[in-house]
Amino acid sequence: MTRSRLATGLVILAAVLMLVPLLWVLALSLKDNAELMTDTASVFNGRFTLENYRNLFGNGDVFRWIANSLIVSFGMTAGVLMLASLAGYGFARLEFPGRNLLFVVVLLGLAVPEQAVIIARHQMFSWLGMHNSYPALILPGLSAPFGVFLMTQYFRAIPRDIDEAALLDGASRFTIFWKLLLPLTIPAQATLGIFTFLSAWNDYWWPLISATNKDMFTLTVGIASTQMNFAQTEGLGFLMAQAVFAGAPMLIVYLFFQKYIVQAVAGAAGR
Amino acid sequence: MRWGWLLPLAALLAGCSDAKPDKTRLVIQRFFGACEAEYGRVTDIAAAEGECGIMTAMINRFEAENPDIDVVENIVFWPGYDQLTAQLAANDAPDLVTMHGSVISDYQARGLLEPLDADLTAIGAPPASFTSAARAAVTVDGHAWGLPIDTWAPLWHINMNLFRKAGLVRGGKPVLPRSPQELFAQAQQFRARTGKPYLVQGTANEYAGFTRNFYTFVMQQDAAPFEGGRANFRTAAGRNALQLFRTIYERDFTTKNQDYSAAVAGFLKGDGGVFLVGTWMVGTFDAESRKTSGALANGGYTVVPYPKLFARETTFADGHNWVMPRNNRRTPEERAAGVRFLKFFAGHARHWARTGHLPAFQAIIDSPEWRALPHRDNLATLATTAQPLPKDVRRQFPIETIVGTEAAAAISGAKPIDQTLSDMERRVNAVLDNL
Repeated sequence: MTRSRLATGLVILAAVLMLVPLLWVLALSLKDNAELMTDTASVFNGRFTLENYRNLFGNGDVFRWIANSLIVSFGMTAGVLMLASLAGYGFARLEFPGRNLLFVVVLLGLAVPEQAVIIARHQMFSWLGMHNSYPALILPGLSAPFGVFLMTQYFRAIPRDIDEAALLDGASRFTIFWKLLLPLTIPAQATLGIFTFLSAWNDYWWPLISATNKDMFTLTVGIASTQMNFAQTEGLGFLMAQAVFAGAPMLIVYLFFQKYIVQAVAGAAGR
Repeated sequence: MRWGWLLPLAALLAGCSDAKPDKTRLVIQRFFGACEAEYGRVTDIAAAEGECGIMTAMINRFEAENPDIDVVENIVFWPGYDQLTAQLAANDAPDLVTMHGSVISDYQARGLLEPLDADLTAIGAPPASFTSAARAAVTVDGHAWGLPIDTWAPLWHINMNLFRKAGLVRGGKPVLPRSPQELFAQAQQFRARTGKPYLVQGTANEYAGFTRNFYTFVMQQDAAPFEGGRANFRTAAGRNALQLFRTIYERDFTTKNQDYSAAVAGFLKGDGGVFLVGTWMVGTFDAESRKTSGALANGGYTVVPYPKLFARETTFADGHNWVMPRNNRRTPEERAAGVRFLKFFAGHARHWARTGHLPAFQAIIDSPEWRALPHRDNLATLATTAQPLPKDVRRQFPIETIVGTEAAAAISGAKPIDQTLSDMERRVNAVLDNL
């Protein structure tokens, strides 16, 4: 009993420690910038303002940037789920020459950092005249070796008996994939979907250099652009309001989907 | 119905469409932040305050006075050069861009900027009308590659209330050192009488300050940090400059372990006598000095250029400029719209001078209106003493980081000064050799 209470106490303490930075960010976002410049401890004097949020929402481009981020994140998530599922099924179930070699090549993609290919990628999209477009923001993210690996492992774990029974019943390969196996991979789809969405939402570098027209900014690039040179000094409250605003959608997603996210993280770790 | 959520999204995007086919499109890309909530509709430039406010009001006013031009304002995260480089690679460069003077030669050497000599003369802002510092900032190979917006330099921001307490005020003016030895003596006196360090510096996670100090005090010894396009740090001047700040550090004449924000807050709270930071803080500190409470209250603030501690009165300087990147898709009408904006900006440059930066036009510095602004009389000499970096040294932003990190190591005692200068020079020249 005592050990249980101790464990509960430790968990609560850890939760509070995790929460403190978030509360600090929220509190700073509700403070006057000039006050914060002199002393951040002024957060405890009880005077708060919504001015920073008014300034943030006063920039009409913000809603456009949110829409862009949603389109890119949903587009990338849908594309990755589709391609990774098809590829995973192929690697797990189909026999074709060079399959293992191709799988290794795909997995090698995990070892290549984005920085190594960014210039070549930028040049390629330049030649195609695709910068400042949704496809330019979405397509690079569809190359997802982790997704292919995850889905391959998931399909491999499903007994082949299911396929064979369906084949005997005259089902086509696509029917087996679409109607029988794909529904069984929902937990893996959830894992992959959540990770892809979060990574697309938070992505900064590629949108920074591909979406150079402010109408095509994603939220991360857009809110960074509104900062002044010394934002951490002269506009700390505004900076924190931006952090809250950028993080809020993900927090909401987490509140609604926390069961799936926990499963996803646990599932990913288990794989 | 399952896709009903797409309708508001589509409506939102449709509403965001801002195509204006009957107008000439002018893409202006700048830093200085966004402040649409406060200044989005302001066209009265005189009513605007701060870099962001004044810049936004100026662009609004230009658009209002030029209804045939559709201004697209791209605001970028400081300094925005990654985006600009990407745009140039994609042949999609904006029409006008803000650029530091120290960076211009890097882009110019690669043929990425348009010369503006004829345009500047045509709009009544010839290079001869610039201050020498501003002219040097935009001039490479005898041509002007931009319209200077301002010149900025690191300054000595002084807490006069603490200086009075330390006995370092005479005739209402701060007593400034004229040699390293005088600086140490005054710092000693300051600490003895106030219990505080003489200098406030942002030294944690902040390397630009180290670099600016190093350049300034090397230049004050009539030496050049760069010669023939290469780093030239292993000199007696380099050694003296680092030794100066190492002594300050070792004898606790400076605040320590403060980042930029903490140093600003520290100076506002009275942590020390002199804050080494640039022109952009003049307005903020002056406003504090007009209050009746606080460390700078009741006029307890003044600001001066770096004092002459060695042979020559000079300060390292940089500046902001408008440049026109090359873009072979730009139409003559778009180019003309860009030049019209430059003319407008030059015509209203006096407003920008309120930011605290030094004006780019000599006529503004000589005007009684500018001299009447707080502390500007003290700073006017910068127009002739401020010294930009040589144009044959490119990649000044990464070089600034190398010099700053190495100088920080030497000043904190983590590395011997001679080894620091050697490493600094080797690393910088490795960057320059690989261009």
